[in-house]
Amino acid sequence: MFKNEEMEINLGPQHPSTHGVLRVKLRLDGETITHCKPVIGYLHRGVEKICENQTFFQGQVWTDRMDYCSAVANNLGWAEANEKLFGITVPRRAQYIRTLLNEFNRLASHLIWLATHALDIGAMTVFLYAFREREDILDMNEAFCGSRLTTTAFRIGGLREDLPPGFEKMARKFLAKFPTCLEEYENLLSENRIWKKRTVGVAMLSAEDAIALGVTGPVLRAAGVPYDIRKAFPYAAYAEMDFEVPTQTAADTYARYLVRMAEMRQSARIIQQCLDGLPEGPVMAKIPKILKPEVNEVYHATEAPKGEIGYYLVGEKGSINPYRFHVRAPGFINLQSLPKMAEGGLIADIVAAIGTLDIVLGEIDR
Amino acid sequence: MNKFLRTLIPSDIAKGMAITGKHFCKVFFTANRRKVPFHIVSEYPEVVAKVQPRYRGRLTLLKDEQGEIKCVCCLACEKICPTQVITIEKGKKEGRKMPYPVRYDFEMERCIFCEFCVESCGFDSIILNHQFELATYNREDFSLGMEGLSQNMFEPSPVGKFSVADD
Ligand code: SF4
Ligand code: SF4
Repeated sequence: MFKNEEMEINLGPQHPSTHGVLRVKLRLDGETITHCKPVIGYLHRGVEKICENQTFFQGQVWTDRMDYCSAVANNLGWAEANEKLFGITVPRRAQYIRTLLNEFNRLASHLIWLATHALDIGAMTVFLYAFREREDILDMNEAFCGSRLTTTAFRIGGLREDLPPGFEKMARKFLAKFPTCLEEYENLLSENRIWKKRTVGVAMLSAEDAIALGVTGPVLRAAGVPYDIRKAFPYAAYAEMDFEVPTQTAADTYARYLVRMAEMRQSARIIQQCLDGLPEGPVMAKIPKILKPEVNEVYHATEAPKGEIGYYLVGEKGSINPYRFHVRAPGFINLQSLPKMAEGGLIADIVAAIGTLDIVLGEIDR
Repeated sequence: MNKFLRTLIPSDIAKGMAITGKHFCKVFFTANRRKVPFHIVSEYPEVVAKVQPRYRGRLTLLKDEQGEIKCVCCLACEKICPTQVITIEKGKKEGRKMPYPVRYDFEMERCIFCEFCVESCGFDSIILNHQFELATYNREDFSLGMEGLSQNMFEPSPVGKFSVADD
């Protein structure tokens, strides 16, 4: 008399908890997800192709608009990939300032993750507190390069300008209060029973699966793999910094939360070291007016807040445009693990799974 | 037993409530006092928002002390602009040795405020000013030029024309 039927529903593309325009096709058996398929491409602008039609100098503005929550990290990868292609050495002071801004950016990105992830799961308070701290970081971005989100912070060969007067004071003021703020978030969440019920044991992704799928960033480190490009292949000034790579072994949503919180502490530590040991000197290397590569190809990977962001550039002899440009976007690759995390779980937990991946659709669709 | 007690006594929720309560008291008992730093929200259209000195706003052409346009039509800005929003027509003016821009069109709707144009200009003849209230209702308002158009490149844009404060 009763028939067991599966139901198909669409989550998104305009659902607030999908962090943009992600559509997830779900097949449900009661409340259990039996099949899950992310559909992407709603925000496709063809950034890679646009960059191929522009000069190496102009390309940076498009990297801002990929992962708009961590534009500085994207800029850093782009600038360093180009420096590798042209064989430019960046002055030491510029390296330090890049590291400094990159870590501030990591804080901003993790704060926005914490805010939205907690909001998705139902903790409204943290949302506003985290945005309050992020505001200070955006103000520092504005002080340094004139824009809050689309920073275009670096130039090939160094920086456009040195740190503005008053920047160091702002940064130190922020660092002084940030540990208290972190404690506040942890008091609100870490032991909270509702938070734990929604996160512990939810959206598991084992280390083998994570490696097989190419997942990087905090999601991989929460599975117990201590892989961080800042340590494994140091770039910018990370070789001179003293920091740890936090890992967890539980591989669930709660472990990823713990990893990201610990990462924020480490970022604050790196910023402190950068500020204390900021060397004097120029911030821009001598570069030719028009950049023309010999035939050459580079792949440069950096650790963006979301995982490994890689830039693949092919230069053509005598041409001022890249012949081929490709981005290995961390969000795009991490999203592939969503079916693995969600299938077999409850429909309410897919929101936690999307949140814990920390995706930004601007970067996935490019 | 321990676990049972913890379920019974909601200490974790009390901890969270304490934080929220602390912040609430801070703001509630210091409300309407000017110098208190707990208010991080400003009432924007009434209170003028301040930007940092390096803020990148709308493109503006500069004039020198004699009121002459500084631009000499080297076309560096036109070439470097990633979205190709600048169009310059070269011309001559009586009593001026340098070339003179007859037309300097700037289509603001496509500008991405990257400041590459200012960086490339070797004559310091353009800047990005500090205006951020650039929204209008008409598409034509985004076409800026030397003169004759609804906005020109020298004067500030109609700041706050469409803001709530005017109603
Ligand atoms: S700010 Fe950038 S996009 Fe706007 S006109 Fe200048 S170069 Fe073009
Ligand atoms: S770069 Fe400066 S001088 Fe040259 S055309 Fe542009 S505004 Fe004029």
